[in-house]
Amino acid sequence: MNSPNLPVVPDGSRLTPGELQSVVFARAALGRRGYDEDQVREFLQYVERELVQILNQKAALGEEVNRLRAQAGRGAGGVMAPEDAHFQAVRILSQAQQTADLYVADAERYTRELAHEARLHREAILSDAKGRAEQMLEDAHRKAAEVADAAVRAVPPPAATAPSGPGVPSGPGGAPGAGGASSDDRRHELEREIAYLRTYSEVYRTHLRSYLEALLRNVDEWESSERASVPGDTPGPPLRG
Amino acid sequence: MDAQRLKENFAAVAEQGDAVAMFFYSDLFVRNPHLRDMFPIGMTGQRDKLLRALGQIVSKVDDLPSLVPFLQQLGRDHRRFGIVAEHFPNVGASLLATLRHFSGAAWTEDVESDWNAAYSLVAKVMLEAADENALTSPAWWNGQVIAAERRRFDIAVLRVQPDRPLPYTPGQSVALEVPSRLRHWRYYSMANAPRPDHTVDFHVRLVDGGPVSPVLVRGTKPGDRVRMGAPVGTLTLDESSDRDVLLVAGSTGLAPLKAILEQIAGRPVPPRVHLFFGARDRDGLYDLEHLSKLAAELPWLTVVPAVSDEPVPDESGGHGFSALLGSGGGHGTGRGGPANEGIEHGDLPDVVARRGPWPGHDAYVCGPAAMAEAAVERLAASGVARDRIRLESFADAQR
Repeated sequence: MNSPNLPVVPDGSRLTPGELQSVVFARAALGRRGYDEDQVREFLQYVERELVQILNQKAALGEEVNRLRAQAGRGAGGVMAPEDAHFQAVRILSQAQQTADLYVADAERYTRELAHEARLHREAILSDAKGRAEQMLEDAHRKAAEVADAAVRAVPPPAATAPSGPGVPSGPGGAPGAGGASSDDRRHELEREIAYLRTYSEVYRTHLRSYLEALLRNVDEWESSERASVPGDTPGPPLRG
Repeated sequence: MDAQRLKENFAAVAEQGDAVAMFFYSDLFVRNPHLRDMFPIGMTGQRDKLLRALGQIVSKVDDLPSLVPFLQQLGRDHRRFGIVAEHFPNVGASLLATLRHFSGAAWTEDVESDWNAAYSLVAKVMLEAADENALTSPAWWNGQVIAAERRRFDIAVLRVQPDRPLPYTPGQSVALEVPSRLRHWRYYSMANAPRPDHTVDFHVRLVDGGPVSPVLVRGTKPGDRVRMGAPVGTLTLDESSDRDVLLVAGSTGLAPLKAILEQIAGRPVPPRVHLFFGARDRDGLYDLEHLSKLAAELPWLTVVPAVSDEPVPDESGGHGFSALLGSGGGHGTGRGGPANEGIEHGDLPDVVARRGPWPGHDAYVCGPAAMAEAAVERLAASGVARDRIRLESFADAQR
């Protein structure tokens, strides 16, 4: 085929002036002058197609420019007007602040609940301690009374006037026997009282000691748990159940 | 400036509530990021304060005689936050932007000029008051804790040495800030009349979940630092009066009244004083030991402690030891204290009324809001003239 070396134009790329200049037409056959008409026609058609394409693309670009201009005016999409950027920043900051406020409120509620529980524990521990103290006293009293009675029984009363039977002793500071009692009666009464007091205080001391030791352990535990929490910062439970 | 137009505009904006304050602060911080550090992390309380203050200002905008003192106090109060003149235009710009944003179509040039005029006035009065105050008083006082005594698991008495004299009237309070809770200020009353060494005592009760009081009660020791704002408050002794005095204190509401008591003790001829000190339980009468000692020394003083949540003790009382133990109750209130004697049972206002009537007395009341209000009613019914009652509740103190 005797075609001219028309530039090879891949689809989508553009005919350049340089390419146009470099087009070489074959000479006409002997006896005929000028260019090969077919080739020239073909070339012109090619140029025409190119131009149509260029005009179309130009129109499309014009539309695109208008669209983008309108968009920039509205401020939506890619590039924002400064005013809108500011509102956006205010909105984002507000959201961040709301999140922070929420966390703070949650933390406060949590510590409030913990503290409330700790208070309940504390009250329970205190009332338990009171109950135990009373029980301890009861116990000491009962044992002392028994011992006192035993002491009295161990020394037989010299006279029928001596108080007998398991009556509850009058306790510390109690009134001595009825008027007119002999010195023996008086002695018995005192012995009985001394026995009572001795036993009472002994039982009481034993109970108290073991209870105080338990309390101390409790306090140690409390202290160490308090130290383990942030030193003096966040309120943790003051007592551990 | 058209006050009515301004009020209507603000009413419409304020209907949108918290969002308004949220927008204001966000706008302020976006424009001036360096201002963010002047505020706490959590801003919920801050926004409430802003809206309340704006509401106050707008409601008084056509009543200068009451607006100006309010703004002056606001200006002085803001000194401790480190607010200076340069900050006012920033705040003004964000305030205007906020109002414009929430007014929508209602925003006109007239409204804008109303707000401009109003804000210029606010800024001017606040700044002038701050500047005037700066001539005589520092923006804040630095203090060092020199003693911290835990009276109960949730009550502490702190003694603070200010770095320079802190002049105040007994009954007043200061805002307090601790280093581990920066920008959280809480009001506490001085619990003593001014001393030659300028030290002040604070009675602090732990508020569950609060940011500041747990630190003060549980984590403060001698050597720790605090900052204090200028003394404020109107619960002060009427020195022109020679009437007998009633002091009614609920829990740590005792602090300002104890300061007033010390002031009375300094008079050449003190009037008769009845101090009622109430708590839920005996354990809560954290200062009774000291008060009882005072009452024993001062013939003109009667101290009446009262507990509201404890059963009236059983008179049969078991072995005698039992009652003694019971009076210990908690951590040390029993120490040498007047075990059971003289402790009244019932709500403090009722106890006060029971001991009445109190005609011709001046009354000073401080405590939880509900207690303080009830006490005022009972006092009025017991013959105390309402204008002879001064009170402060914890709600005021937490401004």
